[in-house]
Amino acid sequence: MNVAIIGCGGMGRLHAEMAANCGLRVVACADAVRKAAMSAAAPYRAKAFENPMGAIKSKEVDIVVITTPTPTHEKYVLAAAKAGKHIFCEKPFGRSSLECKRSIAAAKKADVKLFVGHVVRYFHEFEAIKAQIESGAIGEAGWVKLYRGGIYPGNAKSWFRDYAQSGGVTFDCMIHDLDWVRYVFGEPKRIFCQALLRKTPTQLDYSQVTMRMKNDVIATIIGTWAHPSGFRVKVEACGSKGMVQFDSSDAPVSGEARKTASGPTMIVPMSPVAVSPYQREWEDFLGWVEGRSVPRVTAQDALRAVQMAEAALQSAEKRQPVKL
Amino acid sequence: MTKIGIMSFAHMHAHSYAECLNRLPGVELVAIWDDDAKRGRKMAKEFGAPFVKDRDKFLARELDGVIITAENVKHRALVEAAAAAGLWILCEKPLATTVKDAKAMVKACKKAKIGLGTAFPCRYSLPLMTAKDMLDSGAYGEVYSVACTNHGQSPGGWFADEALSGGGATMDHTVHGVDLLRWMLGKEFTQVYCELGNQFHKETMKTDDLGSMNMEMEGGIQVSHIASWSRPQSFPTWGDVTMEFICENGVLNVDAFNQKVIVYNDKTKHAGWAAWGDNPDLGLILDFVSAVRDKRDPVISGIDGLRATEVTAAAYKSSKTKKAVKV
Ligand SMILES: NC(=O)c1ccc[n+]([C@@H]2O[C@H](COP(=O)([O-])OP(=O)(O)OC[C@H]3O[C@@H](n4cnc5c(N)ncnc54)[C@H](O)[C@@H]3O)[C@@H](O)[C@H]2O)c1
Repeated sequence: MNVAIIGCGGMGRLHAEMAANCGLRVVACADAVRKAAMSAAAPYRAKAFENPMGAIKSKEVDIVVITTPTPTHEKYVLAAAKAGKHIFCEKPFGRSSLECKRSIAAAKKADVKLFVGHVVRYFHEFEAIKAQIESGAIGEAGWVKLYRGGIYPGNAKSWFRDYAQSGGVTFDCMIHDLDWVRYVFGEPKRIFCQALLRKTPTQLDYSQVTMRMKNDVIATIIGTWAHPSGFRVKVEACGSKGMVQFDSSDAPVSGEARKTASGPTMIVPMSPVAVSPYQREWEDFLGWVEGRSVPRVTAQDALRAVQMAEAALQSAEKRQPVKL
Repeated sequence: MTKIGIMSFAHMHAHSYAECLNRLPGVELVAIWDDDAKRGRKMAKEFGAPFVKDRDKFLARELDGVIITAENVKHRALVEAAAAAGLWILCEKPLATTVKDAKAMVKACKKAKIGLGTAFPCRYSLPLMTAKDMLDSGAYGEVYSVACTNHGQSPGGWFADEALSGGGATMDHTVHGVDLLRWMLGKEFTQVYCELGNQFHKETMKTDDLGSMNMEMEGGIQVSHIASWSRPQSFPTWGDVTMEFICENGVLNVDAFNQKVIVYNDKTKHAGWAAWGDNPDLGLILDFVSAVRDKRDPVISGIDGLRATEVTAAAYKSSKTKKAVKV
């Protein structure tokens, strides 16, 4: 099967590599910036496109990977569905739940497979936490805390810095944790959120959520794009008989360069695994495309995650909880 | 010699306060009263002070001040009695379980012209004092957001009996974080949202054992705080006080009790933490004793206790109304 990558930034390049690792051919790379498309295409001798629609419609393409800024996801999902291609779309599924609903309807109508990359479900440590909870090791779970983030992503001109496009740390980054909490503990009941969403004098965002689930579990979730450097994930789940904890800064490998190309040095923790979570989500997606299995995450799940993130931002604005 | 008495050893902090009194020069622990006579006699023996069974006789002794470490709901009656006897008072936190009680206690002490202090020893924790100094230096600039935790193991006993404690972990562990932030940032709390419940101990108690709060302070500072008894029995230590400050010029993290060595002991079959940091209680007791001598209010006053109780009350109200409520 042949793959087209739409949006050749950080994630586009990563997914090209994952697809190739799965034995697929990357045949088209499209990016609004021609140079980005060309450099992503080069290692695969793929065709570079400046206009994504050309890549999507290309006859030899079977799977379209959408890794453009979030507000453009829907447009390319609709085009890919119309062209009869299977779709791998990065999270957040869309910039609004309405966009997600239209995308789901289009994929259904065209009878194509639409997968959304909620990759945290495939992270080894998150699988291990879920397995511990489900094995009863902590008794009945009553509270979970998740913490994710670090430095504000993207350069000064990046779409990440436009809250209207990215939705800030709550919509772009915490959405991973919102999805995972629902994956493990079921549907949410209500959500309360405080978000900084600052532009000046320095752009930074910090989001603090309290969420009550239908099964009464309480979740506390913190997302940060307010740190001067680094990236860190922490998880803690407490129950009637114990607790389970994870901290990414406590890693098997860590390096600290004396000098770095971009400013101050920092400790970079690394946790190597034989098969990366991104690879695993590709295998899951392909199992579905090839009719061998159903995927761990559905477009419906991704829509729910967007609805939760939307509710969080609504709550932050109203300074009151929002029912889900 | 400053003469101090202790009223009730129901709260385990009384042990540390008694030790501090015995360590400090110029102070004497002169008598112990307890409505549990058995406990009172035992403590009297342990700390080398006479036990006085009758409360009025205790208050009539030659005393300058008392430390009240009874069950939460008993604080008010004891404070009022000690104030009427003209004694300086240091009251365990939470000062009271209701705003009404806290106000009455502050009023009674004012009327009696005696000093009332609330036991918030965290203000004397060196890691937390250092963090305050760093914020005060201005190097970090304006504070925008704070994420706090005050976790603990379940203390059980009367703490888990609402009739005596007034509430669970949210009652027990909200006030430290609240008082620390009022002190560090010099601002008051304005709004509280709280989800709370009995999340871990349904089989052994009825009160809440976790509260997850989102609060606002003057100037729009966003604060999350977790008050919990979520640490399992196998956890290596009693709990924590942590704070992450998101500021204009950087991020500041404090883990107040993270001065420890890790101990692996085959007898206990799990790892434990042995703390080596300075005991913050000593600063608290030293200030109280000086306040008694100088006839002034302790640095952490009854008003501070009242303000913290107002926030806790708002948290419980929010959990009932399922709305963010004004403080
Ligand atoms: N799952 C994860 O771990 C993860 C991590 C980061 C980002 N993401 C998501 O992946 C998506 C892409 O993020 P990224 O970090 O790769 O961003 P990026 O800014 O690095 O890359 C985006 C690319 O899209 C191009 N582009 C912009 N508008 C376009 C358009 N209309 N048509 C075609 N190309 C266009 C840009 O030139 C850029 O090369 C986002 O939705 C983001 O939220 C997911």
